Amino acid sequence: MRPCYYLAIVLFLAVVGDGLLVLQLRQQRLVHDAEKLQIMKVVSSLGLSDLAISTEARYTRHPAVSDPVVPFMDHPGALEHFPSGSFFQPLR
Amino acid sequence: MNVITSFQRQLNVLDYALASLYRRRMKNLGIFTVFSTVIFLFSSFQLMTRGLTETAAEILQDAPDITVQQMSAGRQTSLDLSVISGLQDLFGVTSIMPRIWGYYFDESNGANYTVIGLNLQEPQHDLLPPLASGRFPTGGNTGDVVLSESVRTSLNLGGRQSFSLFRPDLTLMSFVTSGIFDSATALVTADMMLISLADARSLFALAESQVTDLMVSVANPREIDTIAAKISEQIPGSRVITRNQIMKTYSVVFSWRSGFGGICLLSSLVAFVILAYDKASGLSKEDLKEVGILKILGWQTSDVMAIRFWESGVVSIFALIFGYSLAWLHIVWWHGVLFQPLLLGWSVLRPQIDVVPSFAVQDLLLIFSVSVLPYLCATVVPAWHSAMVRPDTVV
Repeated sequence: MRPCYYLAIVLFLAVVGDGLLVLQLRQQRLVHDAEKLQIMKVVSSLGLSDLAISTEARYTRHPAVSDPVVPFMDHPGALEHFPSGSFFQPLR
Repeated sequence: MNVITSFQRQLNVLDYALASLYRRRMKNLGIFTVFSTVIFLFSSFQLMTRGLTETAAEILQDAPDITVQQMSAGRQTSLDLSVISGLQDLFGVTSIMPRIWGYYFDESNGANYTVIGLNLQEPQHDLLPPLASGRFPTGGNTGDVVLSESVRTSLNLGGRQSFSLFRPDLTLMSFVTSGIFDSATALVTADMMLISLADARSLFALAESQVTDLMVSVANPREIDTIAAKISEQIPGSRVITRNQIMKTYSVVFSWRSGFGGICLLSSLVAFVILAYDKASGLSKEDLKEVGILKILGWQTSDVMAIRFWESGVVSIFALIFGYSLAWLHIVWWHGVLFQPLLLGWSVLRPQIDVVPSFAVQDLLLIFSVSVLPYLCATVVPAWHSAMVRPDTVV
């Protein structure tokens, strides 16, 4: 068999694999959208302002209501040292 | 006819290029692995930040119109309830809801809980989201608390409903679990304890007239900024946060300019420089000899360049497909497991990062532009050099 036929088979398998991935993604999105409606209700009724994705530091738990200087407020000369701080862009 | 001939010619060149890739399979497998890993890392970060930004933009559109806090010496302090009467007179303000919100550090396991104290009146309960079980705390029942399942696990409650927390003076305050947040809402409630305003005041030892913030609702969304400015003037030293500011924060907070984003970009750049260097300096005697023999057999310079193009194209396109698909699996199905140690850090409560980013063509184009294109460009010069070789000098 010619090498380019092997390439076509691999490409076909990749397309099929990605197609299955897209179908699964659609299912996942439906579940996610239903959950989102519930989350929006919690946010509006409790007046929440932030996502609970990192709970280690105040400024990564509630970045929307924290000042940019909060990471350095622990004591004079304090350095930002929480690992999650490296995932969040400093606010200006 | 001409097109068919040209197509068949390219197929033959592709056959030769694939055979050539197979001959040096270990080296090419190495390049493919590094290339896929770089694309995977780059795409994963892009998908994760897009997912978090989109999720925040959607769910925080119902955040309070205006949040008012009191600052003193650059830090947030409690706010006196007496300011409410002044704010109620502002035209356009429909409601003001006082709230106490803070953090409770559990010394026994190092977890940080977010405690929210609100006065939830009975009529409002219809507007509240459904709980997984139980009911919301009411002003009448002291010690009622709604928890998330992860807080319950962290407190090690088992089958018990009651537990105690320390006040600042180390006296104990008892709570009874009146409800559990639905796990579907964990994205915002994973570390949360919801109690009544009076209980929160008692737990944090705040004075009768003090709260931590006010949630102000405004009738006309267009007036939010104007009313926020008036509130700011009315309460000296206050911090007034509008919903737009909250959403703006989340539109910029996850990006390539963060420390980890910078590392991802830098590592991608270094990997491409190494790949480009490898390509540029990878003309061995065997490569040159091969080109020489091909030219003796009648191949043109353009044919040799076409082989090199197909070789690079096949490796880079397959690395893109593999790396990008793996990134989707990583973010959506494996919940960004590689980023979790960083994003959760030293958090004791470890909420599952559940995001489903939308597919964006511009993301794919960006990844293509920073991965496949530089690689193809990096192969042009060495391909041209090898194609220009004179057969009699190398064979």
